[in-house]
Amino acid sequence: MSTPVVLDPMTLPSDDNVNAYTFCVELKGSQWFLQKGKMIAYYGQIQFDGIGHGRFERLIRTSFHSPLHASDWVVAEGSGKMLLADRAFDVNSFDLEDGNLTIRSGNLLAYQPTLALKQSIVPGFLTLIGTGKFVAASNGPVVFMEPPLRVDPQALVGWADCPSPCHHYDHGYMTGVMGGLRSLTGIGGTSGEEHQFEFVGAGTVLLQSTEVLMPEQATGGVPHEPGVPGGGPGGGQHGSTPRMPGQLGDLQRRFGL
Amino acid sequence: MPFREINSKMVEASVEPGRKMYSQRGAMLAYRGDVSFTPDIRGGQGGLASMIGRRVANEATPLMTVEGSGTVMFGHGGHHIQVIDLTGDTLYVEADRLLAFDGTLRQGTMFMGSQGGVMGMVRGQVTGQGLFTTTLGGHGSVAVMAHGGVVELPIAPGRPVHVDPQAYVAHHGDVTNKLSTALGWRDMVGRGSGEAFQLELSGNGAVYVQASEEKL
Amino acid sequence: MFRLQGSKTLAVDLTGDAVKAKNGSMVAYDGRMAFKKMSGGGEGLRGMVTRRLTGEQMEVMEVKGQGTCYFADRASEINLVSLHGDTLYVEASNLLATDAGLRTGTSFTGLRGGASGNGLFTTTVEGTGQAAIMSDGTAVVLRVSPQYPLNVDPGAYIAHQGRLQQHFQSGVNFRTFMGEGSGESFQIRFEGDGLVYVQPSERNTVGGDV
Repeated sequence: MSTPVVLDPMTLPSDDNVNAYTFCVELKGSQWFLQKGKMIAYYGQIQFDGIGHGRFERLIRTSFHSPLHASDWVVAEGSGKMLLADRAFDVNSFDLEDGNLTIRSGNLLAYQPTLALKQSIVPGFLTLIGTGKFVAASNGPVVFMEPPLRVDPQALVGWADCPSPCHHYDHGYMTGVMGGLRSLTGIGGTSGEEHQFEFVGAGTVLLQSTEVLMPEQATGGVPHEPGVPGGGPGGGQHGSTPRMPGQLGDLQRRFGL
Repeated sequence: MPFREINSKMVEASVEPGRKMYSQRGAMLAYRGDVSFTPDIRGGQGGLASMIGRRVANEATPLMTVEGSGTVMFGHGGHHIQVIDLTGDTLYVEADRLLAFDGTLRQGTMFMGSQGGVMGMVRGQVTGQGLFTTTLGGHGSVAVMAHGGVVELPIAPGRPVHVDPQAYVAHHGDVTNKLSTALGWRDMVGRGSGEAFQLELSGNGAVYVQASEEKL
Repeated sequence: MFRLQGSKTLAVDLTGDAVKAKNGSMVAYDGRMAFKKMSGGGEGLRGMVTRRLTGEQMEVMEVKGQGTCYFADRASEINLVSLHGDTLYVEASNLLATDAGLRTGTSFTGLRGGASGNGLFTTTVEGTGQAAIMSDGTAVVLRVSPQYPLNVDPGAYIAHQGRLQQHFQSGVNFRTFMGEGSGESFQIRFEGDGLVYVQPSERNTVGGDV
């Protein structure tokens, strides 16, 4: 029989994983941003405040740049150790050193205020810039790959340092005798893999091991003006509809439907 | 060894010219190199007759052919993946649990009734998979999906294993199956319900059981 | 004898003795086994009545035999708990199996149940032996001592043992700069001496929103 490890504030790790699904943050008078609903337990004196609480205005100005999803985030401040988790998904921390990393919005759990969070111009993604630590969840462990690489859109968690992905369509499938026959008759169906994201250049691509998406977290709207992806009428990729605070929203996506 | 386990939910396969693979449609996560994915109009091997056979057999899980040269990452639905290496024996597995497998393996469908008689037919009803099960034979690797982790239980002569049909994933070896029921079990679950039976596997081989009663 | 086969399957080696387990959680066995249905939440008529009152539903079966019996439930992670004369408090839906010698009952837990959507009563397991509890993801076991009280999200709580007082704590602020969503969130505060089991996942809760 394996005896479970019993932890207390002395033996809990500091800013590290407790197990694959739980991350422990140590606060020493410092602050962290976290998504609502992701704190499962804490020791010590920790206060949780909604973003926009007067005191934090300066902090928000420097490290929080997507206005509309502010209601989904809280600031934790104080001293103690708190445990973060997200529906038993795998949880990992990432260190950025004067770098940038773009991540699917639903996967980001928490980050240090030394990082700046901005909306990516790719709808549904957020970009973290600067130096600091952040915690992200993924369905199955995150796998790091180097470009060139083509990725199923749903398996993509994010990317660092490389140019944005572009769409790739499998032309061998769309053309040719078989393709023509298929489009005429519908016989044969699709392979389900006609469309990928293609990454080229130097950098790292982060993959999750499954095609089940994390529930989408609204990244907030973008100004409705020409030239802004997702901003114009009819623009915006599926799954990136802006959500106003207080709106129930995105339920079907939350449940993976 | 065509599959490399990256983690419990993802495998990597290398594809070379002249060595194709089959995978479930939509199971590709990423790939590198020059690889093509073609819906398998023939439903595996054996031509049109086999496809119709499959339709009838309700084993119409859509497959795709993976060819070219490069590496492909497979995973699906957050399910755990178990890689099973076959060395000349036959694997029995329900088609919708197949993630990917070597193109060199012989595919077939087996009428479970032929092995278990009437009982085998009941088994099909119990597992909700129809009366047919996919068989893969020869030398090669198979990646099988399961809900939760998989436990491999050895089957030895004189030591049969009883499995909840809902937790059954696959088995291989020289194994016969029949339905049986344990003392008191039927009183507990209620007579006449499909759950009144367990799948009894005896002979020489191994059975894979998932940590859940949920089908995929 | 309880042992884990992987993290999600419980293997129990039986040599003529018995184990109590959640109904329908048997996935496989070898050897010879007999199954018997039992009613949970204490024995006898009184147990039945309390069970009806408490709504703490636990369908239990007793498995007796020789060989190894394997249990699993919806791919939940399984955690083994050793009891040495003390009491384990666990939500009935999180209890997978116990030694047949352990007594199970129900106890009133106050308001916490109301918040976690788990009813006002909790299953208790008492005696000396082993129990297996389930969690969504690997559970974390946290020690509570007089100098280290612990706050837990009601949705992540699965079980506790030892001499612990629990009370409901509110007072977590959510003020957003949009002026909306200001509300309070609830946590359970544990004080005393004992262990608390939390899972890395939250059921939908009325109270917890941190």
